[in-house]
Amino acid sequence: MVRYLRMFRAFAASEFQFEMEYRGNFYLSIFEMFLVIGTSIGAVLIMFGHTTTMNGWTLPEMIVLLGVYYLIQGGVNLVFSPSFERLMEHVRVGTLDFHLLKPVNVQFLVSTRHLRVVRAADLGLGLVVVIVGLLQVGAQIGVAQSLLFALSLFFGVMLVYSLLLGLVTLSFWFVRVENLLAIFWAFTEAGRFPVDVYPLWLRVSLSTIVPIGIAVTAPANAIAGRMDAVGVALLGAGTALAVGIASALWRRGLRSYTGASA
Amino acid sequence: MIRIYRQLLVAQIQAAAQYRIQAVLWMLFSIIRPVIFLAAWTAVSTAQGGSVGGYTTSDFAAYYIALTIVGHLTTAWNSFEFEFEVRQGRLSPKLLRPLHPLHYSVVENLVWKVTTFLPLMLVCLVIALTFQVKWSGEWWHLALFVPSIVLAAALSFMIGWVVATATFWLQRINTVNTLLQRTSFIFAGQIAPLALMPIALQVISYSLPFAYVLAIPAEILRGGVTLERGLLYLVGQAVWLALAIVAYRFAWRAGLREYSAVGA
Repeated sequence: MVRYLRMFRAFAASEFQFEMEYRGNFYLSIFEMFLVIGTSIGAVLIMFGHTTTMNGWTLPEMIVLLGVYYLIQGGVNLVFSPSFERLMEHVRVGTLDFHLLKPVNVQFLVSTRHLRVVRAADLGLGLVVVIVGLLQVGAQIGVAQSLLFALSLFFGVMLVYSLLLGLVTLSFWFVRVENLLAIFWAFTEAGRFPVDVYPLWLRVSLSTIVPIGIAVTAPANAIAGRMDAVGVALLGAGTALAVGIASALWRRGLRSYTGASA
Repeated sequence: MIRIYRQLLVAQIQAAAQYRIQAVLWMLFSIIRPVIFLAAWTAVSTAQGGSVGGYTTSDFAAYYIALTIVGHLTTAWNSFEFEFEVRQGRLSPKLLRPLHPLHYSVVENLVWKVTTFLPLMLVCLVIALTFQVKWSGEWWHLALFVPSIVLAAALSFMIGWVVATATFWLQRINTVNTLLQRTSFIFAGQIAPLALMPIALQVISYSLPFAYVLAIPAEILRGGVTLERGLLYLVGQAVWLALAIVAYRFAWRAGLREYSAVGA
């Protein structure tokens, strides 16, 4: 475990150096993030100019939800999506061989090898948005609630991770799966509102096919005190199941990998 | 020119036929966002007892379905593609051809929109049924919509090209694109119909080109404008289109002198 943590630190350090070669681009990305989050908050403010609640969600709760949305997106875009992009490239070109030869867990390696360091700023900004929202909610946030929040946030990220892993594993059979990922990214946007505002067909596809709906709504519910320990435990069990299935699929896919030009 | 276009069209239709599924998938990007905001406004409208600022729940549905169709028909991805071509050095051989690169992307753009129109309408039908839409327009709204959508598509396309020319100076235009998209997110009527925005934002919206691409044709299609207003909007669209064309010609000529052919 310690060894893997140390490895991850080395990945992060090398990617950070790499990213700092393009310093201008780095700062521009941060500027973009401010723009994106700022305009998203603007959108919520405009809507709440006409109402005080949306499906039972108040303005501060919506701000918290938006913060969680960017936290989860930030987490996924920081590590998993850049790593998986490379993975698909490795499978297509056949260079995954080099990863397979290394004496570490391959799933860990392909999931975390590459980072888009600048996305760490999304995490920071998302957290700020969550805190601002919580201050507006004004409720007392106990230790238990914070713990449930952190747990459900972690489960949410892992839920999205298992879906992504499952999707990119398909590249062992179909080689080109960018299109599937495109659907995923298109649907991700729906996470900006609580999953219960959507009509049934979209809710079903959001929460089952694209778990982003659950991933975002659950932590926001937990911190607002609308989700108890049982709910979080159920979420944890579901997440464990999803990760298990995705990992099994990954191992199955790896067996049908034939290597470079083989 | 007509003969050139006919040839290009045939070639592009053949090329597009190979990527049918891909074309339909990219269509999702036109649909998801309006549906998201439609769902949110439906929730708001329900909380307010069925209507917000003169828009009933079914008006919202009509507006956002119109916006989906307009958004799809005005999509222009030339700025993304152009940056890629410049960076990869693929622009250079195109410049040597007797036909301006713009014409190729006109054809690509048209073919994509025509081939994905039917699936889009099917999806819109599903949305319409889910949200109980009610169309409250007259026949002349449809007549007005035809020139309006043509102008909007042309305007969006030309804005795309103006942005694309920024590549000549900046090489990477990610940030410019994000800036533009987020401005359009706020001011083009995606968050809310323009009439529901705070007055200050409405003033900005009407003075920027983005609403003339999305919100205005959508309002016309929904049947939410008077005849005089509709005609005035058309004039506004035409003015912005003219401005965009002038800006493009100027930027293209200046940019080409700056172009140093990466990878050549």
